Amino acid sequence: MRNSKNLKKNTMEDEQKFIIGKRILKRSDFFKEEETRKRKAATFSFEEKIKILIDLQKLAYKWGRKNIIIWKI
Amino acid sequence: MKKTLKVLNELKQKGLIQDYAIGGAIAALRWIEPFFTQDLDIFILLKDKGKKEIIDLSPIYEYLKAKGYEWKGHWVVIEGVPVDIFPADPLEKEAVEQAQETEYEGIKTKVIIPEYLIALFLRAGRSKDYRKIEMLLEQCQINKEKLQKILNRYGLNEKFKEFKEKHYGR
Repeated sequence: MRNSKNLKKNTMEDEQKFIIGKRILKRSDFFKEEETRKRKAATFSFEEKIKILIDLQKLAYKWGRKNIIIWKI
Repeated sequence: MKKTLKVLNELKQKGLIQDYAIGGAIAALRWIEPFFTQDLDIFILLKDKGKKEIIDLSPIYEYLKAKGYEWKGHWVVIEGVPVDIFPADPLEKEAVEQAQETEYEGIKTKVIIPEYLIALFLRAGRSKDYRKIEMLLEQCQINKEKLQKILNRYGLNEKFKEFKEKHYGR
């Protein structure tokens, strides 16, 4: 019973709408846009992706993972 | 990275290896959105094709050591990049042979294609490997016929079915 209540609440939350500027978006629109962004990121050049990877390594190092080797481009 | 690839190409030019290709997470990253990883996995084909119980990588290791590259655990750090070097088994050998020739800042290299990466990640079978399979299936064009043939040849069909059932409910 408790689970089905939570499920209902989550479903309702999924249908919430957000106004951003002139756009009205549902949560599912955010997910769709995220998928589109991922597919677009997948088409970046190998060089661009390695640069992003190095930024991620720097970030991880900064956040305390001091054993990380930050690659040299 | 550019210098690292130059050194790997040198291994080939010097005849220490027959060929190589980038595999693992960096190969996946070539085909999908960028994500965090630390090491560069390289699969190598050795010139001596005789089947041996122990594969001697000493000439490669000695060459790299002589060039001043440090060993940190299982990695050799080549020009600031931690590299794992794996002698290819039959599936990996086919993956290296079929790898796509590409360039990184003008340096030629080869990257394992998505269909072989899926088979290799499936065989490895860790949760992080499964996550990469999901991303490959969702973010890049997969030649399904090619993938199916690879899975058939290496007995990975059942594992792929289980993966699909678990992750996609079919």
